[in-house]
Amino acid sequence: MRTEVAITMTTIQEIQRFAGIGLRLPHIAEVVATRPPVGWLEIHPENFLANPHAMELLLELAEQYPISVHTVGISVGSVCGIDREHLKQLRSLVEKINPILVSGHLAWSTQGEAYLNDLLPIPYNEESLQLAAKHIREVQEHLGRPYLIENPSSYLGFETSTMRETEFLSELVERTNCRLLCDVSNVYLSSHNLGYDAYEYIDRFPAGAVAELHLGGFTPEEDSAAPGDEIWVDTHECAVADGAWELYAYTIRKFGVVPTLIEWDSNIPPLATLLKETARAKAIVAGAVSVEACHAGSC
Amino acid sequence: MPALANIQQAMRQAIVAGVSSDLDALFTGGKEPRKRLEIHRRHYEASLVKAMLEKFPATTWLVGSAYLSDGARQYIREYPPQDPCIAAYGATFPQYLALCPGSDRLPYLQAFAELEWHVGQVSIAIDYPAIPIEELAAVGIDTLPATVLTLQPGTRYLHAGWPVDELMRYFLTDTAPDQLEFEPSGVWLEIRGARGEFRINRLEEADFLFRKAIWEGLPIGVVAERLLEFAAAFEAGKALAGIVSAGLVAKLAVQGDCQ
Repeated sequence: MRTEVAITMTTIQEIQRFAGIGLRLPHIAEVVATRPPVGWLEIHPENFLANPHAMELLLELAEQYPISVHTVGISVGSVCGIDREHLKQLRSLVEKINPILVSGHLAWSTQGEAYLNDLLPIPYNEESLQLAAKHIREVQEHLGRPYLIENPSSYLGFETSTMRETEFLSELVERTNCRLLCDVSNVYLSSHNLGYDAYEYIDRFPAGAVAELHLGGFTPEEDSAAPGDEIWVDTHECAVADGAWELYAYTIRKFGVVPTLIEWDSNIPPLATLLKETARAKAIVAGAVSVEACHAGSC
Repeated sequence: MPALANIQQAMRQAIVAGVSSDLDALFTGGKEPRKRLEIHRRHYEASLVKAMLEKFPATTWLVGSAYLSDGARQYIREYPPQDPCIAAYGATFPQYLALCPGSDRLPYLQAFAELEWHVGQVSIAIDYPAIPIEELAAVGIDTLPATVLTLQPGTRYLHAGWPVDELMRYFLTDTAPDQLEFEPSGVWLEIRGARGEFRINRLEEADFLFRKAIWEGLPIGVVAERLLEFAAAFEAGKALAGIVSAGLVAKLAVQGDCQ
């Protein structure tokens, strides 16, 4: 069964010119108290489901802000299947806050009974495709809404891969009618680590399915296998790199204006720093919109 | 060509247990792609050790961050999380830590860490409107023994053979003396909290047993009988009124009554 796209378009149109921020627990009291001028908030449900106090504050914020739910625990790439209890809890949360978007990762994180607390890569081949498509359909049917799949940050690939990541994502969209979350910083980082052209990747990305963009910081480290070379690690512990901002501007021109989120998960800075990053995204979007308007002859 | 199930099994072994013998041919990327799996192994370890340090700051204060981190590293290897909600992970860590080499010098370590675990759990709870005493009074004498009380979610009970609440107070108030003569002495603790706040109350043993049995969901009649066996002079009615007037009871239901 295909799940029809039923994103609340009015709300999406309202928020797409404003960047959102990832709402992390250290900021929640300040956001509740000060209600900063941010377009929308994105949460990891796993931070709230076992924390009733945080959940109570979230429900209060959901009355004022559009909320997007970004899961890290729905393991669509796992051979062991999806944690149905977790999916049930996710549905309960979704029913409570009626988020504008629900998303997750093209990754796996559970094996046997172990939850590995990371987003681990899968090979891009028919076996993985069938598995991920089956799980995405299961999630969408359970939630009764489209699920957005995010492209991963990558450090390695697999000998068993038979297709490019963008082909894999296109096939997932085709087979499940899911939407995509394009993490521009992940594209920038992975292209460096795996040696491909980030702009060509964006050109090949299934633009028509993109419903959200992410931006986050990474940390360069020396590649232990190649002294002098760097490997970029997706830490979300610093500001978005200039190169990723340039790729973002290109992406916006390519995909059109899409809701954009600033992620910052470690060494979390003052809220004002995050708001400054959203202002930069907003300025890039405004620039893209004015260029479009000029092309349309209204300037 | 290895199937996905085998790849994921091998990756789990590498990430959780650091065993990576079968992975050479699996990966591409960089000069030595297998070394890049180390980034995931390191993230697994670092993120969960950090989570344990954040959950147990008082225990870290007591034993030092190196000792706690070492214990956490072993714990996450032997007992990986089973749930993506990491806030719920670590309930058995106090017990595990108390079996780590060197812990025999701190016989109160497990109880202290358990107290801290409970403090963390009640602090993120929310409380519900407490039932008024009139609601309890309205329960008929015939149905009272079968009545089950649900206590506020942010309530826990802990019996320790050492006064670990004193140690916790030193930590919380940053008033630890240079030297402390710490002697074993039983304490019966009630830990209550909600919305970022908590308090630790010492109870008399009988009152502790009564409240803990109520907290476990036993019917009032069973609890009263158990306490009378423990202490013939125990006043169950007074104890019952005490937990209601303290705002501890969030719900009252008669066992077997679907309403």
